[in-house]
Amino acid sequence: MENKILTVCPYCGSGCQLYLLVENGQVVGAEPADGRTNEGNLCLKGHYGWDFLNDPQLLTSRLRKPMIRKEGVLQEVSWEEAIGFTAEKLSAIKEKYGPDAIMGTGSARGPGNEANYVMQKFMRAAIGTNNIDHCARVCHGPSVAGLTYSLGDGAMSNSIPEIENTDLLLIFGYNAAVTHPIVARRIVKAKQKGATLIVADPRKTESARIADTWLPLKGGTNMALVNAFGHVLVEEELYDKDYVSNFVQGFEEYKANVEKYTPEYAESITGVRASDIRKVMRQYAKSDKAMILYGMGVCQFAQAVDVVKGLASLALLTGHFGRESVGIGPVRGQNNVQGSCDMGALPNVYPGYQSVEDAKIRKKFEKAWGTPLPDKTGYRLTEVPHLILKENKIKAYYIFGEDPVQSDPNAAELREALDQLELVIVQDIFMNKTALHADVILPATSWGEHDGVYSSADRGFQRIRKAVEPPAGVKPDWQIISEVSTAMGYPMAYKNSEEIWDEMRKLCPSFAGASYSKMEALGGVQWPCPSEDHPGTPYLYQGNRFTTPSGKGQLFACEWRAPLEQPDAEYPLTLSTVREVGHYSVRTMTGNCRALSQLSDEPGNIQISLEDAAEHGIADGELVQVYSRRGQIMARAQVSSRIKKGATYMTYHFWIGACNELTVDYLDPVSKTPEFKYCAVRLEAISDQAQAEASIRKQYAELRKQMLVGAVPE
Amino acid sequence: MNRASSNSLVIAEAAKCIGCKACELACFAVHNRDNGVGTAVGTVTMPVLPRLYVIRTDSFTMPVQCRQCENAPCAGACPVQAIRQQDGVIAIDAEACIGCKACALACPFGAISLYKAYSGGAELPQPLLQERRDSKLQRKTRITAYKCDLCRNTEIPGGSAAGEDAGGGRSTAAAARDRNPFPACVAVCPEKALRLVEGGTGSSRSLNREGGIS
Repeated sequence: MENKILTVCPYCGSGCQLYLLVENGQVVGAEPADGRTNEGNLCLKGHYGWDFLNDPQLLTSRLRKPMIRKEGVLQEVSWEEAIGFTAEKLSAIKEKYGPDAIMGTGSARGPGNEANYVMQKFMRAAIGTNNIDHCARVCHGPSVAGLTYSLGDGAMSNSIPEIENTDLLLIFGYNAAVTHPIVARRIVKAKQKGATLIVADPRKTESARIADTWLPLKGGTNMALVNAFGHVLVEEELYDKDYVSNFVQGFEEYKANVEKYTPEYAESITGVRASDIRKVMRQYAKSDKAMILYGMGVCQFAQAVDVVKGLASLALLTGHFGRESVGIGPVRGQNNVQGSCDMGALPNVYPGYQSVEDAKIRKKFEKAWGTPLPDKTGYRLTEVPHLILKENKIKAYYIFGEDPVQSDPNAAELREALDQLELVIVQDIFMNKTALHADVILPATSWGEHDGVYSSADRGFQRIRKAVEPPAGVKPDWQIISEVSTAMGYPMAYKNSEEIWDEMRKLCPSFAGASYSKMEALGGVQWPCPSEDHPGTPYLYQGNRFTTPSGKGQLFACEWRAPLEQPDAEYPLTLSTVREVGHYSVRTMTGNCRALSQLSDEPGNIQISLEDAAEHGIADGELVQVYSRRGQIMARAQVSSRIKKGATYMTYHFWIGACNELTVDYLDPVSKTPEFKYCAVRLEAISDQAQAEASIRKQYAELRKQMLVGAVPE
Repeated sequence: MNRASSNSLVIAEAAKCIGCKACELACFAVHNRDNGVGTAVGTVTMPVLPRLYVIRTDSFTMPVQCRQCENAPCAGACPVQAIRQQDGVIAIDAEACIGCKACALACPFGAISLYKAYSGGAELPQPLLQERRDSKLQRKTRITAYKCDLCRNTEIPGGSAAGEDAGGGRSTAAAARDRNPFPACVAVCPEKALRLVEGGTGSSRSLNREGGIS
């Protein structure tokens, strides 16, 4: 008998609703549902991305039993032993070095909001530290910091469905076609409905291809371009004077800071024509409804928070807030990265973006959780390798639903850091590169096997539902964490995810009214939703009341800073990491989907220009060797006329062509987000292609073998 | 031209396509049900072999597929008459195909490719022809021409082959088609960049315009 279970896609922040088709307890297909953001459409990951639930063991294998490293080898143990060992070790480390020697992560992926709530509660209440962070740090961390400063809320001001009704879209460093195909659909629809499309991107992305104006800026020059935008708005008096005087602060300082950034000066830095800079800002200012969308091309630089604030300033200057189809949209990458931020899996805030340093708020949480709580901001995820290797401050790392060895920069250094720790706990659904360094492995249920709530990129809480039974021997994430916590003397026991959700709602004023039953009735609820009778909020800042401390929008501009590692004679090309449409994140999920992995498989591609390919004697499809100061890997050349000479791009999903062996761990000073989008590399052609192909096959086979740890023997 | 008898075709709009290849996967899945694709049973052991291809150049991105030409040059070039006009589509008889590549060379759109044939998820060997592999004689894998067949030869569970129920009334096939819309590429495209232009509907001029060829 076939069953259809309504749930939310586990890939990307678009929040598409879909039905899982279940036959005899097994998922056999997916069908689009009529969700708010997707309206009966899915991309290829939504259609074919459920397959990993059947554990075909293509790339890695499902974790089915708890494991403890004994005499250097991971060995299956009982849950009792695993929980007992974990709790005992954590307690001993806490006793010996203090609670701040323990770091934990949230998970922006399958587990859902409830598990993230329980994890941050465990770190704060049971361990006694604010050392909790997650992959938002390597992603939209700058958006949370920058938009909170400028506007008050670190999220999309407007909704995904509103995109198609705007008059002008300014897309900055955001490749929707591969990141969010279902958001790209709204961009295409906007264009079809007559909107002006402006795209700032070094590559000719699909949005750039259909744009009215493409601004092909050089990588690493965002701030100079954004400042020049501001300069034009001020100098040509295109800004909305009434709006600025009523709702915005910091104009005089802003004006002084952008003064030097004439379009001509910006052209000398960015390579974008001065006349185009003037033209697009005139169009932007004069549009009744204009929307900014941006992505990793803004956030994954060491000057990221500044650019976020700069982009928000453009919308503030022109009064593009507080209405439909305006505002600014950091379109979140992972399915629940908005949610894990919402749930306080961040070192500086409790759930609902409430500061850990605010005594009144801390008191509220201390009362609810029945224990004193730490009052200073915890460590950030990207500081972890340094804190371990250089400062000797972290001794234990509880890694929950993340694979930092694959996803974080400078992989070699990260592996070294993990090996130096006294305790590495990995809680996941699949064996992965990080788990190879684990002392304890706690196997969890996957998307499709548990209930919960995800937050879409546009602040939409939506229910995910259990469709199939999990493998025997795995437990829901929140239950595992609760058991560890209880064993450490801070009892936590929940009957189900709804009970956790209701506890969370009571503590978070902006989520208070978003009950399971309301999500059930409406299909989803967008926060803020302060009360039971509140329908949710499609767009923020109604009446131009910002949620900053002053209630006004804050303008910001500052000097442009060049990226750290510039190309030189030895490493003459730049490398930026990017995404590929058919794969997701660290590829444990899509790499285990048969159709998706057949469409595109290891070792992954490096996109290079026609000129650089000719210069190096590299043909399209050939394997090449890529070197940086931190490592070397092999990848397949993808020669494209859409790439500028001197720049290369690699997708970060692949394990053999793992670009994070090459990337630099240089961070934004505020958000501590790494500069994934810029480092220097060298390319080498490989003369013996047959041998190189054989070497890739061998590496892949060895890697798969390593990943079979704990797989149930056939 | 007798409009009523003109072939249907699938067309794409470059202005909407984002190059996501959902169409390629849908095409591959619908044509390879007997190779274990599209169900949870078994593991896909074959490469993705779609019958349309997303092409990306500097100035456009869109899938390219067979136009179902009325005077099909591929059929004219086929020395064994394996390509025929059949029920409103230009069809390749995979059994009869000798893999000579004449059709692929004749096609002005590059819409025909030659690939290994698969059956039950494994490469399909030739009955007679052998080659030396790993220092022993083995049967050579059969290679045949693939192109868009408007999903005519795809068996739908619970119904007949898609698109065969031209008659009125709600047949089982029609019901099955609602569940498995076709052509698969058109149904799956999230950008609605692909469309089935029905043969014989509207004037030839509007067909040309829709087909982007005037």
